[in-house]
Amino acid sequence: MSIILSIARTTIGEAVRRRILLVILLIGILFLVIAPSLNMLTPRQETTVLKGLTLGVIQITSAVIALVLTVYMLPNEVERRTIYTILSKPVQRWQFLIGKYLGAVGALGLMIAMMTFTLLFVYAVMQSQEKPAAPIALFIVTLIALVALTNKLKDKTSGQVVIAVLAGGLMATLYWIGMATGQLETFSDFGKTAAMFFIQMCLLAAVGVFFSTFASPVVNFFLSGGVYMIGSLFNTLFDAVAENADMSPFAKGAVQLLQSIIPNFQNFSVQNTTVNPNQFIRGEFNHYMNLTGYGVLYISILLILGIIIFDRKEV
Amino acid sequence: MKVNAAKMLPLLILLFVGQAWMQRSVIYPFWGKHYAPRTDSDLSSLSPDQMLFALAGFREMIAGLLWVRADAYFDEGNYDAILPMVRIVTMLDPKQLDVYATGMWHIAYNFTDESQRSDRRYISPALALGKEGARLNGYTYELWFETGWIWYHKIDDNYGEAVYYFEKANEYDYDTIFADLKAAGLNDAEADWRAQINGIPEARKNLLAPAYLRNGDVIAARDLYWSLLQRAEEKIKTRQGDLYVGSNNRDTIEGNFDNILVRMAQRGEFARLRGETDMTGYDVYPPFDVGFSVSVSVIDYKVLLVEGTWGVLPVGTRIRFILRDADYQGAVPGGMVWDKGDEVSFTVNPNETFLQDQLFVRNQRFSRRVDLSRDVTMYPLTKQDYVMEFYYNPRSAPAHIQDKFGFNGEGMTDSNFLNSDIREGQRVVFAQLKITKDMILRTGDYRKGRKQAIVATQNYDPSKYTGGSGEVIQVPGLRSDPPSP
Repeated sequence: MSIILSIARTTIGEAVRRRILLVILLIGILFLVIAPSLNMLTPRQETTVLKGLTLGVIQITSAVIALVLTVYMLPNEVERRTIYTILSKPVQRWQFLIGKYLGAVGALGLMIAMMTFTLLFVYAVMQSQEKPAAPIALFIVTLIALVALTNKLKDKTSGQVVIAVLAGGLMATLYWIGMATGQLETFSDFGKTAAMFFIQMCLLAAVGVFFSTFASPVVNFFLSGGVYMIGSLFNTLFDAVAENADMSPFAKGAVQLLQSIIPNFQNFSVQNTTVNPNQFIRGEFNHYMNLTGYGVLYISILLILGIIIFDRKEV
Repeated sequence: MKVNAAKMLPLLILLFVGQAWMQRSVIYPFWGKHYAPRTDSDLSSLSPDQMLFALAGFREMIAGLLWVRADAYFDEGNYDAILPMVRIVTMLDPKQLDVYATGMWHIAYNFTDESQRSDRRYISPALALGKEGARLNGYTYELWFETGWIWYHKIDDNYGEAVYYFEKANEYDYDTIFADLKAAGLNDAEADWRAQINGIPEARKNLLAPAYLRNGDVIAARDLYWSLLQRAEEKIKTRQGDLYVGSNNRDTIEGNFDNILVRMAQRGEFARLRGETDMTGYDVYPPFDVGFSVSVSVIDYKVLLVEGTWGVLPVGTRIRFILRDADYQGAVPGGMVWDKGDEVSFTVNPNETFLQDQLFVRNQRFSRRVDLSRDVTMYPLTKQDYVMEFYYNPRSAPAHIQDKFGFNGEGMTDSNFLNSDIREGQRVVFAQLKITKDMILRTGDYRKGRKQAIVATQNYDPSKYTGGSGEVIQVPGLRSDPPSP
């Protein structure tokens, strides 16, 4: 397990240092920060539009990051020949692959968390009638300290404790802001949606890792992106097929089979209740649990297939 | 050590079957019920990239961006461009309440001619949009209320419909929703928050009472005011909600309740309830003859001058004037069948003409210039024959006039045009005149003033009620005798 974790840690470090990923993340965060300038609508409509827009930005940015992060994962290791050094040690190929995947997931989680924090912060500042100056200032200071100290302290145990305390402080300050601005319910809705996006992106990362065991980065980018697009359109397509009385039973069966095989990304699009909070869905929490379970099952399938292929690959 | 693929196969199959079952049988049905895009969506107006994004799980994002664009069109006054936007946004995200509410208000109120008369052909699509919104957002009072408002304020007729929608809206009571949500397992804070945003505000419940009144159900209005008053007092006593808001609401209801009791007494409503038939001594007796007459002359190409008499001195009378195709589909006396079903279509028949205006009475006369020449799309005048209708319903009259006319017109009469058939349970004034396209366009026999294009009721006498005092509005009591001519 320690082998997997150390590979994962290294992968996170690599991901955080990759400029392309940071640029994508920065663009995403920039969009989130400027989104409130759309302040020409009625207050409630403005909130609705802002939520829809910002959640969309998080979803798109996360998907691009997941793709860019995973398509180069194995090919880069082979190209730079670092894989030989690692595999010459007592590291199993499956451990390497799972470590790389978990690292990618960890980096994705970090980036989604950063975007979500930014969103919550921007939203709280925008929505609150009375700006709670103290918690907002504390939030900014903690965030800056966390970003500044992460690279310096991450290798020391005491440093890691400091980082953990700062991260905890960030969460607590966010909770304080939520309480002070009366936005705790909305914060919780954002959190749930972001969590589902995270599961969705974990699934996409698994698709990317699976394809990276046998496809070149460019081919992988289009393959994984294609699967994401098809998987995101699937429910809509399936609905259309189910309602089309003229379609032959064979064609319908083929669509159903395809629906069972291709990972369904559209099921994770649950942001509507966050964007329009008036509606209340009974059993929503169970749905989130089911989605998580589905994600874990499919990710397991992809990783097992990836391990089998990677195991037999000439490296 | 290589992984044994053969040994992994059963596990893979198991996982595969598990995920397929989970997705098809557990997740998809729930998602389809609560999160799916509308299956009747017609998104053909979207560009390919918008369509792809919208279908690929970014519906709310595209809907938001389109609505921002629609807002820019509002500012530019480009109202026609907003209609397809409203439709697409409501299809992409039917949970956006403000798009429905703003959309239906925009459609019903904003399409006007040069004289700010609304295009009544758009009322039916506005109603259909409101009904659709209410149907798809059954957890909130809002679109029931908004649809009721269109009936109550914009259509200002068929008040039973306003009552229906306001009653539906009033069912979304804070206490009921809170109890339901608690029963569903929500904690107090969340149940309170959801009940606040979905429940009808206390002050808005009051509007049902005037809707009852206009629908002729005085007792229901009185009882509603009474129950709302008790409820408001209870809320103040138990310190529920904002005390300032609650006190204001209580005072408003109390004032309205007092008024209705006084009016019921003065208008003989209590006597009628007791079964008395002699109304002598009550304000509504004897019925006041309004002396309606009208003349319409075409003074220029597509320009009408509507003049007439209405023997009521106090200011506040507005007589509905309609000019429509003689064979207008769905026309009813004094209006039309406003609710044309559930299908939302913003396309109106470009060949139909339906003009509705108000004739404002001052010093017992009215005079209104109606110019049809500048709004060809609203008034295409493609038919040969037209009907002009004049309709006065005392139920929509202001209170000081109703004090004489009564709740249902029992204190009003007219020697020539009193009608108790076209609106059940009401005494209204209704007159109809016919006019031709040649007259309106001053063509054929009416070209270059060869023949005067004038139609009038037989009793129209321009010398009647000439004793007024110009712009000075006299407000004598209407309580008994008609004013001397």
